[in-house]
Amino acid sequence: MKTRILFTALFLISSWSIFYAQSDYDMTQNFKNNCRIIELSIRNASSFAECSEIEEKIEKFRSEFIDSKIILDKALYPDDFNSSFNKLETNLAVRKKDFTQISDLTLQVETMKTNLQEINRINEGLLIQINELNKISAKNEKEILKLNKLVSQLRSNVKQRDLLVRDLVDSLLVDFIKSPADLNRAEKQSFISKIRKSNLFYNIERTIADNIEFVKVTSLTPTDFAEMKDQYHDFNKVWKQIGPRLGEVYLNRKENQSEITGIDSLFNAWDNEMDAEIWGRIGNLFKDKGIVMPSYSNGEQFSEVINKYIDNEIKSAAAKSKEESEKIYGDFADDVYFKSVVPEWMPVLISSGMLTPANRASIEGKIAEWKKEIDPSTSYAIYIVAGMIILGTIILLGFQRMRVKIAEA
Amino acid sequence: MKLFQSVLLIIMSTGCSSITLQPGDFSWPIETVLKVDEKGFITEDRYSFSVNVRPLFQEEFADSAAAAGKEIRMIRDQSGFYFITGEGFKNVYLFLPIEAGLEMGDAISISDSLALSAPLFNQKSPNIELLDGPRKYLLHNSGTVRQL
Repeated sequence: MKTRILFTALFLISSWSIFYAQSDYDMTQNFKNNCRIIELSIRNASSFAECSEIEEKIEKFRSEFIDSKIILDKALYPDDFNSSFNKLETNLAVRKKDFTQISDLTLQVETMKTNLQEINRINEGLLIQINELNKISAKNEKEILKLNKLVSQLRSNVKQRDLLVRDLVDSLLVDFIKSPADLNRAEKQSFISKIRKSNLFYNIERTIADNIEFVKVTSLTPTDFAEMKDQYHDFNKVWKQIGPRLGEVYLNRKENQSEITGIDSLFNAWDNEMDAEIWGRIGNLFKDKGIVMPSYSNGEQFSEVINKYIDNEIKSAAAKSKEESEKIYGDFADDVYFKSVVPEWMPVLISSGMLTPANRASIEGKIAEWKKEIDPSTSYAIYIVAGMIILGTIILLGFQRMRVKIAEA
Repeated sequence: MKLFQSVLLIIMSTGCSSITLQPGDFSWPIETVLKVDEKGFITEDRYSFSVNVRPLFQEEFADSAAAAGKEIRMIRDQSGFYFITGEGFKNVYLFLPIEAGLEMGDAISISDSLALSAPLFNQKSPNIELLDGPRKYLLHNSGTVRQL
């Protein structure tokens, strides 16, 4: 509004001076000033309608100066009368296109918003039903079937909603091609209103919270975890791009700043919940075989706990019979570690960075050492196997890095 | 021998002859308004030149130090004469380019008593129009001035 008043005032003053000033120099300066004012108003336009008003003003401006075209053609060097108007018209066309795109995106966001509301409502109902079924300790076949069906439906809904929220955030990133510092007041305002209209913060919070809840109430498979970890990384990456920029836009709005920080901690909570669930499930595999070890919550602790357990077993091997030692080794290494942990959980542990290849190599080296202690005849074979595993891990790591580099390129 | 001397004279006179590029039009479409810096220089960006104008202020006001910070107005006519004046001037000065400078050709007296209060130049080839508030003059590089 202020821009419009300023524009009108300056336009009137400069137009007035055209009639009374007799100097060609002053007339040229007025023409240049008008061009600058119009350029500024194009840059600050906040709607398509405002662009149309500016279009009319450009036409009026052209007709007021058309009689001075000959002198302006010479005086505006290196521009001329027509090229000055061409510049203004090109700028206006670009700005109009921006608004057309913004209008299309707003429509898309509206559709996404409706879809999101619907999915949020359905998910809420599904989570209640799953919780109720989980409370029944002795489930019959029908209830188990129903529970599985509900979980599968919820899994698909959570995934669909994640994608919708990602699209929503992506649509905002389009606006953020410019850095927030380069956005003018009108652009900033339109951006803030778009965030508000799409309930962006609520939807992101809701998505993460539901994912956390989903991890808690369902028994996810290692493949589900791998998929969810990928989703987490993708979504978190996008958020890390947009989050600090939103912070800049909302520099003076404390309530929104706290929402941004809140979302950052929710992302952490989601990752922690997945990690806790994965380590807990791996721990249960050992527990089910009667292997008691302290709990762990990251890859370093995991490899430390296992190495310590094996060290203790090696030390106490002399006090046990060979059969007993072999059974403990068999339960640990053959029945749990190599049978379940390595084929089922190792891919997600390594790909998500929860366990490093070095941690894995250290554990498997220790298992080989243990095997050698209880059965020295296998020592060479064990070294070969351990060597192959380490080599395989290094090659796998190399491939992963190459894929990451190709994807980044 | 006479023939040889004649040929030599023709060759020498051809080598020494100067050429003239004409006709030409040096007119600026609009005047330029330039501020004098502390050292007494004005700098024109479009036509890429700078020149010291202290002697002009010495001539007009008998005070070359008065130049700093003042604004002067300048325009060039079709023949290449620079017309220079400014607020408080009683004359319009005509200059022609020389090596690394401008040489005064003439000074057109506008008024003996009244100084120019807000002078403006317009290109009106082959003349230059001078406006000063309601007063209007038509100047020519021959030194003539006509009040309109």
